[in-house]
Amino acid sequence: MAQQNIPNNQGDTDIGALSFERAIEELESIVKRLEDGKVPLEESVAIYERGEALKRRCEDLLRQAEARVQKITLDAGGNPTGTEPLDVE
Amino acid sequence: MSTLLITHPACLDHLTPHGHPERPDRLRAIERALEAEKFQTLARVQAPRAELDVIALCHPLDYIESIREATPGEGIVHLDADTSVSAGSFEAALRAAGGAVFAVDEVFGKRAANAFVATRPPGHHAETARAMGFCLFDNAAIAARYAQKRYGIARAAVIDFDVHHGNGSQDIFWADDGVMYLSTHQMPLYPGTGALGETGEYDTVVNAPLRPGDGGEAFRAAFETRILPRMRDFAPELIVISAGFDAHMRDPLANLNLVEADFAWATQKIMDVADRCAEGRIVSLLEGGYDLEALAKSSAAHVNALMHG
Repeated sequence: MAQQNIPNNQGDTDIGALSFERAIEELESIVKRLEDGKVPLEESVAIYERGEALKRRCEDLLRQAEARVQKITLDAGGNPTGTEPLDVE
Repeated sequence: MSTLLITHPACLDHLTPHGHPERPDRLRAIERALEAEKFQTLARVQAPRAELDVIALCHPLDYIESIREATPGEGIVHLDADTSVSAGSFEAALRAAGGAVFAVDEVFGKRAANAFVATRPPGHHAETARAMGFCLFDNAAIAARYAQKRYGIARAAVIDFDVHHGNGSQDIFWADDGVMYLSTHQMPLYPGTGALGETGEYDTVVNAPLRPGDGGEAFRAAFETRILPRMRDFAPELIVISAGFDAHMRDPLANLNLVEADFAWATQKIMDVADRCAEGRIVSLLEGGYDLEALAKSSAAHVNALMHG
């Protein structure tokens, strides 16, 4: 029956390995399916919950990317001297 | 006058596939909960069959016949991914609609103060000519339309606190200025309808979507700020409740976090409106609720409120 096709918690473990592009692509497709009302009632909540997990994955990847972005520091003459963490706030 | 409980054993014979959440045990759980001592004063009666021309107030006769014809001699036939019929389904659907109509007669005849109809299949997703979301005929819509026709009332309200939006009821009453349809529900979730901006042809559709994770506080705020004021202003002469208990925190098909006390509170608030403009007339119909323990406790809290205010 339909429930066998529902991504369950075990199925969500693959999300941790998804690239940002793949995660956002699947998330967009889930949002569209939910908005279009094309998801069966029984599957609706499981699909929403997978969407939440994908959203968390995208947020994690963005945070990691932010942490990697660093600001190049310059000396008085405008020459690069090194890097320091970018203040993303 | 007492509160009336309407059921029928035929509603146990609407069978769904193994593991399906909308299952006969739901009614058994409610019946067991209402066997408790404090419910002994409930008047109990079996639901009659609805006449086909009464169901036809909301659904074309050829659609009604198509459901009858789809009903198999044995086994289960799927109508869509969620919705199916077994040998007993048409009879169960007639009793579910019939219980709703009978409840209308009883409250207008002043033989009952109000009524709870614990039957299945549920109704609020059934569109005019389309079965969906476990639903075959829209029992709440049929009850409201029947009251308009039989008792000549100018205004009825259908308040739907099932966690899913009642797309069928909204569709049926979209261009009817005599019936206000009001709903709290989770969004996003099945069936995808129920946005704030969906207000009907005559501004008589009132949607109050809630976010996944919302609990009693957000639910009560939606009632206080949106549902109750609009319902009071409309001054319905009958209130039909689409009583789904799947917004409960234990329910497996949604992500809201209501508890039994929230359903009792909502019931009392609806009763206040009914007392003010409808001589207390309330017909409450079971819709969803798929965790048996939550369903039993929530429906008991709902019925207890109907009995005692």
